[in-house]
Amino acid sequence: MLNTHIDKTNSPIIVTEQLGKTVPTSEGILHILSSVNLIIKPGESLAIVGESGSGKSTLLSLLAGLDTPSTGRVVINGRDLTKLDEDGRALLRNELVGFVFQSFQLLPGLTALENVMLPLELSGHAQAEAAARALLDRVGLSHRLTHTPRQLSGGEQQRVALARAFVTRPAILFADEPTGNLDSKTGAYIIDLLFELNQEQHTTLILVTHDMSLAGRCQRTIRLDAGSMV
Amino acid sequence: MKRFNLALKLLWRDSRSGELTLLLLALLIAVSSSTAISLFADRLHRTMTVQAAEFLAGDLVVAAPALIAEVWLTKAGELGLSRSQTSEFASVLLENNEMLLASIKSVSGGYPLRGKLKTSDAESQDETVVAQGPEAGSTWVDKRILPALHLKIGDTLTVGEKALTISRVLSYEPDKRGDFYSFSPRVMINQSDLAATGVIQPGSHVRYAFQFSGDEQALATFKDWLKPQLNPSQKMLDIHEDRPELGSALQRAERYLGLSSIVVILIAGVAIAMATRRYTERHFNATAILRCLGCKQAEIIWLYGLQFLVLGLVASGVGCGLGWLAQFGLFELLKSLLPQELASPSWLAVFFGLITGLAILLGFALPPLLRLQKVSPLRVLRRDLEPLPTSGWLIYGLALAIIGGLIWRYTEDPKMTSIILGVGTLALFGLGTAIYGLLLLARKLLPKMGLNWRFGLQGLLRNSEASVSQILAFSITLTAMALSFSVRSDLIDNWQQQLPEQAPNHFALNILPERQKAFQDELQQAQIASSRFYPVVRGRLVTINNEAVQGRVSKDSQGEGATQRELSLTWAVQLPDDNKTVEGDAWQAAPSGLVSVEQKLAESLKIKLGDQLTFTVGSAQFSAKVANIRSVQWDTMRPNFYMIFSPGTLDNFPTMYMTSFYLADSQKNLLNTLLKKYPAITILEVDQILKQFKMILTQLTKAINLLLYFALAAGFTVLFAAVYATLDQRIYEGALMRTLGARRGFLRATHVIEFGLLGILAGILAALASEAILYALYTRVMHIDYHPSFQLWGALPTIGAATVGLAGYWGVRQVVRQPPLQVLRR
Repeated sequence: MLNTHIDKTNSPIIVTEQLGKTVPTSEGILHILSSVNLIIKPGESLAIVGESGSGKSTLLSLLAGLDTPSTGRVVINGRDLTKLDEDGRALLRNELVGFVFQSFQLLPGLTALENVMLPLELSGHAQAEAAARALLDRVGLSHRLTHTPRQLSGGEQQRVALARAFVTRPAILFADEPTGNLDSKTGAYIIDLLFELNQEQHTTLILVTHDMSLAGRCQRTIRLDAGSMV
Repeated sequence: MKRFNLALKLLWRDSRSGELTLLLLALLIAVSSSTAISLFADRLHRTMTVQAAEFLAGDLVVAAPALIAEVWLTKAGELGLSRSQTSEFASVLLENNEMLLASIKSVSGGYPLRGKLKTSDAESQDETVVAQGPEAGSTWVDKRILPALHLKIGDTLTVGEKALTISRVLSYEPDKRGDFYSFSPRVMINQSDLAATGVIQPGSHVRYAFQFSGDEQALATFKDWLKPQLNPSQKMLDIHEDRPELGSALQRAERYLGLSSIVVILIAGVAIAMATRRYTERHFNATAILRCLGCKQAEIIWLYGLQFLVLGLVASGVGCGLGWLAQFGLFELLKSLLPQELASPSWLAVFFGLITGLAILLGFALPPLLRLQKVSPLRVLRRDLEPLPTSGWLIYGLALAIIGGLIWRYTEDPKMTSIILGVGTLALFGLGTAIYGLLLLARKLLPKMGLNWRFGLQGLLRNSEASVSQILAFSITLTAMALSFSVRSDLIDNWQQQLPEQAPNHFALNILPERQKAFQDELQQAQIASSRFYPVVRGRLVTINNEAVQGRVSKDSQGEGATQRELSLTWAVQLPDDNKTVEGDAWQAAPSGLVSVEQKLAESLKIKLGDQLTFTVGSAQFSAKVANIRSVQWDTMRPNFYMIFSPGTLDNFPTMYMTSFYLADSQKNLLNTLLKKYPAITILEVDQILKQFKMILTQLTKAINLLLYFALAAGFTVLFAAVYATLDQRIYEGALMRTLGARRGFLRATHVIEFGLLGILAGILAALASEAILYALYTRVMHIDYHPSFQLWGALPTIGAATVGLAGYWGVRQVVRQPPLQVLRR
């Protein structure tokens, strides 16, 4: 059983030490990320910025336990991710982490309600439907419960994705270019909603973005260049 | 040439990326099964045509139920023709307290005029080729006879009343064909010993054959002279026309195998269509770029068409090779039904396999492939722009035409082809609709299910069209396997079990009129109840109201069977108790010249009350008027007859009597006494006959099962084609689920549920279809009660769930292996 109790004191919720990622190519080893050292406190909001190919998404995937580092380690809430197997990391993600992606990533075969219920159902939550309805209501989609992603606009899909991310009341929310596929007006609405929910739930927010004004809304910004923090 | 090179290059790239593996596999399965059957049928037919003279044991043969006129033989002698004679009949051998129904064949000097006999001694396998049959006083026997009767070479074997010395084991005779008679073990004797056996009496059921050979001119003269003199019961066979036919068991086997191979082709065709569809969809983008760069629509089709042509040629070539190997398996499984020496496989049949492969590809792959020419160049800008689908008429019409053509090739009967095609299409449509309905019903249950089950079922519902194809493919295969198994293992046993207790289990035939009374007394003294003793005259129905019967029968009907052989004709004052007249009146003290016809035969031959039926008995002919039509209970194990005449009608013909009786196992010894006392009588033990039928059935079903393995493999290609068509989507969804916290075990469980359900549904449908077909077989063909088999309902869904579940689970194993990072990279 994982220790999912959140330490509300000043202990960091995420710590990385000498985090690095390399991939072998025909021309030798390619360094995507090198020696990233980070300490993130609970409730903090952090923006990761950088050019395309600078390693932002790789860093996010390592922090969220979606990928394993080539060097160094990631510790979330006292648990060393490098010591967990894939199922262990999946369990940790289910209990501590929420995601918002640029391309929404909703399951096409499920309705809006079912998509939001999914992470609760995976953790065996008894009141999954009620919680999902409440969150969809919160993001203004109570009239779209039975619609599938195909029947929703981009903005609506991202709102469903927000509801799905927050429905488990995650300790950490990872957002990867959440407005990248939206027009500026819808994007602004989604970002407002994201920060509102973040504040309501005191979630630690880690946001990958190109948009410096969006990064400016976070408490801290780190910049990556060619895989290194600058 | 440049275009051809580009096509080859693209094909090479696609094949290396595994894009074409499934397509290739499905095509291989279809081609190898159809080539195997094509080669099998071709070898059988060439055996019968190319080696006809050898299979006749002469250049010209007259087959007859009685001896032919001496003057015919004299004429043959005058023309300088060599001649020989054989007589074949069934007789029961009794040695060392063991009984065996054997097929006795007496052969004259000179036999065989064409071809050779082969013999061996019991121990060694070395065969000696000999030109003549056994000498007088000795006999050559089928190898099976020795252990069955506890005999060895040098021992005495008594045939009828004649004791003969077993001198050799007979391993090959040229004119032995695959039918029930030749399935009984052979005893060959010299013709000069025939009379001494005392078995052949006037009216005995004997198949005589007179072989002639010699100069072609003399043969033609003899044939022209003889032909007009033949009566309908005499048949002339020569190497040019009226060649000997395959035994009926083999003919059926060939047809069933042909039809089974069409099932394989159909299932593999579905896989080919599905795989091509995926191939096409994955080439939309590349095609859009080619179109952008200036490729015309026709050039696109050429480019992909060429690739498929090369693919078809390669797969068909390899498939032909596999088919070549598989046909050896078929011959091995049907060994004892087949002529012992067979024509070698012909290249023409292999070529047919190649053509079949290309035709299958054309029928199933072309319609989805045609979609590529409709890809708009605008797709380079708008990836969601999909080309219009190919017309349904083209998709189904082309496939149906190819399948129809193949069915016609095996049945050679347009009517039967359209029936099979029509009934098959209807059945597929009906089953497809039923599955679709079941899936719709299952959709309603979704909200009430747990997460695992919901996701499993959603996998099935996601692409219900593909799910219907997969379930159909597996249910057809499972049905065919269940039927093959049930027919082989249960059919005869169930029939036997349902006979009334103490139903007669022995038939006594060929009872001479003068010994009938004595035989009857013998049975009575032993307190054995027998059924009535019926006089039997063997004759052939030739015309109905002066119209030849052949004109009234359809292929393979009951009527055809009855007109192709001699019938046992009898007369009676009173119809048997269990026969009921359904039309006309039963006669009482009727005048001669009336006949009562069995109902089903009357229906098949369209015989009505008052019709004039003409029969031949030997060279004589007589007519009778239909007085009534009656139903017969065939399973009473009493003698039953198609034709019963009014007393006096058959008075002028040689008669034998027959009866049936029940003998308990403890009384079997009585048979020894009876056979010794009445050597001319043939006693048929029902158990023994059923045992032989079972052996034939086992061989046939084993051969058909070989084809069903191909069908099963084809079913798996459909499954994998469907799995791969959705694999990208599955991998994406799996990664997303795991990002949200789903464990691998959860995903695995949903896969097992999805494919297990698919297998269970296929199994349930197969159980339903098998029950329906078995019900029809039991009640309509065998006329026995049918009880649903709980085993089928248990076994088929279990087998379906296990095999399909495991295969599907294996097919989607990538889904749980991919790291969830996939989602972020998309």
